[in-house]
Amino acid sequence: MASDGNDDLGFKHHSLMNTNNPLCDKVDGMALSSMYNTKSSNSSDPFFGSGWDPIVSLNQSESLGGGSSMVSHSGFANSHYPLLMENQGICGTSHFSQYQSDPSFVELVPKIQGFGCGNLSEMVGPMSLPHCTQGYAMNHEGGIERASTNSTQSRDDRQISEEGVVGASPNRKCRKRVHEANQNADEELKKDPSGESCDVQKEHDSKKQKTEQNATANSRGKQVVKQAKDSSQTGEAPKENYIHIRARRGQATNSHSLAERVRREKISERMKLLQELVPGCNKITGKAVMLDEIINYVQSLQQQVEFLSMKLATVNPELNIDLERILSKEILHSRGGNAAVVGFNPGLNLSHPFSSGIFPGTISGIPNTNPQFPPFPPQTVLDNELQNLFQMGFDSSSAMDSLGPIGRLKPGL
Amino acid sequence: MMNTPQQVKNPSSSLKSRFITRFLGALTKITAEDPILSSSPTRIFQRYRRIKVASNKSMAYSVRSRRIWSRAMLSRFRSRRSAFSGRRSSVKTTNCGEAMDVCNLLDETAHYIKCLTTQVQVMRKIVDFYHLSK
Repeated sequence: MASDGNDDLGFKHHSLMNTNNPLCDKVDGMALSSMYNTKSSNSSDPFFGSGWDPIVSLNQSESLGGGSSMVSHSGFANSHYPLLMENQGICGTSHFSQYQSDPSFVELVPKIQGFGCGNLSEMVGPMSLPHCTQGYAMNHEGGIERASTNSTQSRDDRQISEEGVVGASPNRKCRKRVHEANQNADEELKKDPSGESCDVQKEHDSKKQKTEQNATANSRGKQVVKQAKDSSQTGEAPKENYIHIRARRGQATNSHSLAERVRREKISERMKLLQELVPGCNKITGKAVMLDEIINYVQSLQQQVEFLSMKLATVNPELNIDLERILSKEILHSRGGNAAVVGFNPGLNLSHPFSSGIFPGTISGIPNTNPQFPPFPPQTVLDNELQNLFQMGFDSSSAMDSLGPIGRLKPGL
Repeated sequence: MMNTPQQVKNPSSSLKSRFITRFLGALTKITAEDPILSSSPTRIFQRYRRIKVASNKSMAYSVRSRRIWSRAMLSRFRSRRSAFSGRRSSVKTTNCGEAMDVCNLLDETAHYIKCLTTQVQVMRKIVDFYHLSK
């Protein structure tokens, strides 16, 4: 009956009353019964009476870790403990078997409390958890040490093994509770290998809560990720071997997308440079349109070179070498501006069709051929000639005139 | 045509100065060959072509092999010297034979645009000078 009663709460009660209980054999029956009948009996030892309160308070409070020390300190655990366990509830009665050995009784208390703590956590809820986890960790370690010193009773061994098994599950349950309690910071929690104890877990969580307050879930920065799949799922930055690029908010951070992002940033940077080179492209957003504009600009520049070389070909180059030197020096010195050139010809009009078809920007720079210039008449003749000669897509002078600022000409040869 | 020795006119031999010296040398050489006034349109056209090629070549030589587009142009000049290479093909369609990803292509385009603008600027100034002087 004792063995049956050991497994049931109800039977625990009976076992207490039952004088066949080996526990009762150990304990002073009188004290036990008196204890049992009246919670605070005068006939009981003042030691008991005084000791009862702390145990009651111990029961009600959840600092079971402290309770173990208290009980061991007071030393009357053997008589009070069954009642303690009863109040706690489900904690199995199997521990009663432990009470057979007095010397081991005290040591067993913390172990059992740890066991009870684990069950309590399920019963009471996450409230008790912080203490529970700490208490459990402490007790668990202490219990294991003390368990080794226990007498070699078969039940002891079984108890230890049971507790070892159960110890793992409360541990997991603890962790799970922690996970539910701290839902913000917990993505690594369940993926942690089960080697971590609750204490370490708690510190980890607190640390993580701190970091979580600073950063959003996605931009965790350079945290160590234990599994490769976590990085893709949780969006953490797994970079430890590569250049540390902090993931920006709301962006995926696995290695492929990061390299992609770097590449895209390089490309957009160059597109911005090109935007500055090509005039009139400040408002254009979008790479395709920008590329179109760039292509047109390059084509128009090439055509300008052609026009200018044609102009040079028609100009009478009555230059001697001295003039050339002067010219080159002049060109070099007056780098950016055509101001010097324009100053010579203040009131010249643009000559069509050559220049008017070109950009307005360039037109201003080209002072036009004066009617008095010798090349001018040949140019008018040349215009018609050019239409025949140039099969390069200069369809007609009118077509050239109709060129917009960066007009789209048919490509040349 | 491009055998004029490079003369550095200012301490910092920039792309512009290199181009100027080369091009002017070529230009004088071309224009010295036949007078303008008595030229027929065909001659003028030929001269135009030569000047254009000279301009492009000057620029390509000024850049030398530092850029992919200049390398492509130089190789094309050397291989197809006799053929009429009218209009330079766009950089994007050039058969440079080198691996060009988007990033490098954009780099090359930016540099090419810069060189083209330099070319246009210098040539325009020369034209103006010609117009001014006579």
